[in-house]
Amino acid sequence: MSARSAVLPRRAAWLEVTRRLPAATWPFAVFGALFLLGGVLRPSLLSLDGLWSTAAFAMILAIASAGQTIAIVQGGIDLSIANTITVAALTFLSSTQHGTLVALLLALAAGAAVGLLNGLAIAELEISPIVMTIATNGLLFGIVLLAFDFSQLTDTPQIARDLTSGKIAVLGTEIPAILPLGLALLVGLQLVLSRTGWGRALYLIGSASEMAALAGLPVRRIRLLGYVLSGVLGALAGVVIASYFAQTSVTMGDTYLLGSVAAVVVGGASIFGGSGTLIGTLGGALVLGQIATLVPVLNLGVNVQQLIYGAIILAVVALYGRRRADV
Amino acid sequence: MSVAVPARGRGLARLTDGFAGLRRQGAITPLAAFAVMLAVYTAINPDLFTRIQLQTLANLIAPLALVALAELLIVLVGGIDISVGAVMSLAGVIFATQMEDHGAGVAAAEALAAAVACGLLNGALVAYGRLPTIATTLASAFIFGALANEVLDRPGGNVPVEVTNATSGELVPYVPAALVWVLGAGVVLWLILNRTVVGRQIYGAGSSASALRASGHDPRRAQLAAFAIGGALTALAAILLVGSTATGDPKAGDPYLLNAIAAVALGGAAFTGGSGSVSGTIAGAAVLGTIGSLLFFAGIESYWQYVIGSLIIVGVVGLPALTRIVRGRRGAVR
Repeated sequence: MSARSAVLPRRAAWLEVTRRLPAATWPFAVFGALFLLGGVLRPSLLSLDGLWSTAAFAMILAIASAGQTIAIVQGGIDLSIANTITVAALTFLSSTQHGTLVALLLALAAGAAVGLLNGLAIAELEISPIVMTIATNGLLFGIVLLAFDFSQLTDTPQIARDLTSGKIAVLGTEIPAILPLGLALLVGLQLVLSRTGWGRALYLIGSASEMAALAGLPVRRIRLLGYVLSGVLGALAGVVIASYFAQTSVTMGDTYLLGSVAAVVVGGASIFGGSGTLIGTLGGALVLGQIATLVPVLNLGVNVQQLIYGAIILAVVALYGRRRADV
Repeated sequence: MSVAVPARGRGLARLTDGFAGLRRQGAITPLAAFAVMLAVYTAINPDLFTRIQLQTLANLIAPLALVALAELLIVLVGGIDISVGAVMSLAGVIFATQMEDHGAGVAAAEALAAAVACGLLNGALVAYGRLPTIATTLASAFIFGALANEVLDRPGGNVPVEVTNATSGELVPYVPAALVWVLGAGVVLWLILNRTVVGRQIYGAGSSASALRASGHDPRRAQLAAFAIGGALTALAAILLVGSTATGDPKAGDPYLLNAIAAVALGGAAFTGGSGSVSGTIAGAAVLGTIGSLLFFAGIESYWQYVIGSLIIVGVVGLPALTRIVRGRRGAVR
């Protein structure tokens, strides 16, 4: 009894320090620890090249999860991300004859249309985000199968490959171009989320939408814009994925359906909305990416990787994702 | 002063009561949608009521209907279960691989036990660990999926013809076994939900957990029960799927996740919890499961089923809000 009470204040002080750190610090700390662990187990992994290849994989997951982060922050979810990625990738590749920029814009426009559809149904018809985005995902799957001719979609424009998997020489090391570009995108978006009125309103809607409505915020319009942005980001992810891996398939987006939610949750966002950052999501993606790097090194199968993913999500949620006692 | 005559027992009153109950739980629209669908189907394809076609259709619908019922239970307690597809895969591969050595009965019991254990794990974490349902079941979806792959890493297993007959053949001529399994499970689930304490607690936990607690019940027990019963239903779905496809496949459950949630939505359940019905959910699954086959007989490219299925969901789920908006605007004009 007495020992416990003596420990309590010290623990509280320790908590006080850790509480002041931004939530996004934790996934990066875990990633750092996992990276060092990899180095201990297999010293050859402790190299910049190893870091860059894991980071590039994680950055692609982070970009695919950016729209998901925004959907979850506003208290929703976007399960149409899988086929948004596929539709955008196919739109991009099937219109490159009009120029790469036009193709990119068409793909983003397709994403915006998807987001608009989701947003209108969720904000105006008050359909549950899970249900609506599942319906949209199905709709898009139909479009993928009906509207695209896969035999023609093999060529990715050189510029698109240069901007994603192309190597840039920086300070004596070569990094994939997607890393600085993706980081700039995520930081820019996070600034929009945390510094603009719209972005801050999105967080408020995510934690207390009725309060936001009572305070006179145009909740529906803010939500709608949030889903449009999610759709555009999903489309961008589709273009990036198609360009980086230089291949497409009907199911190319499927791994990102649960993968994006996993990255957002591991990145420290609340699944109930109102908190979470794109930088945190990047951290979450780095953790998942580093696990994917470590598992084959230790001669463990992909099953073990999935097991660890599950365990990590559970651990993260158990640490700071609990419901309040009275809910 | 006069003692109210209980509506029960009077034929017409009982019927209207039942109707009101179905309407309250949102089951009328999906049931009507299914009736329309069936009418269109038989108009296009009068051969539906032949034995082989009834069987095929029942086998298409049955696994989806059962997983949808499992998902309904979690939706009723106010959550969403992302792991149903993975649990279905796991139960399926256990059933398919254990049959050869231990016989179908033992294999089915093992699949059932595994799926109920998965449900209990999810339920314990959600109810007693106070973890959010989506995140918990997202994590366990990865775990159960990995276990399914560990049991059987590619489609396989050996399914004897008796199992296929018992799950997806005919019980008696013109009565597909799969349909009997679904209706049986549906009746049992209806009885549990409407005639037992734990069933009422499941509805109560989703509509108002604090009121349930204030009246001396434990919402956590209801959540745990919902996940456990859901596990059993998912196992049955897996067994029927293995029976009708004659293989165990570690990825077989994956497509059922989103379809099960869609069927629950189409079945009229509220995703805020506490409202939804067994009959509506089965009708929702029947509608979604029939579209592909209907298009086939209508001579339309079957890929359209994904588009049409989505439009039906949005139409049915969005209809109440749409009429409200239209009425509201008319009111404003006046």
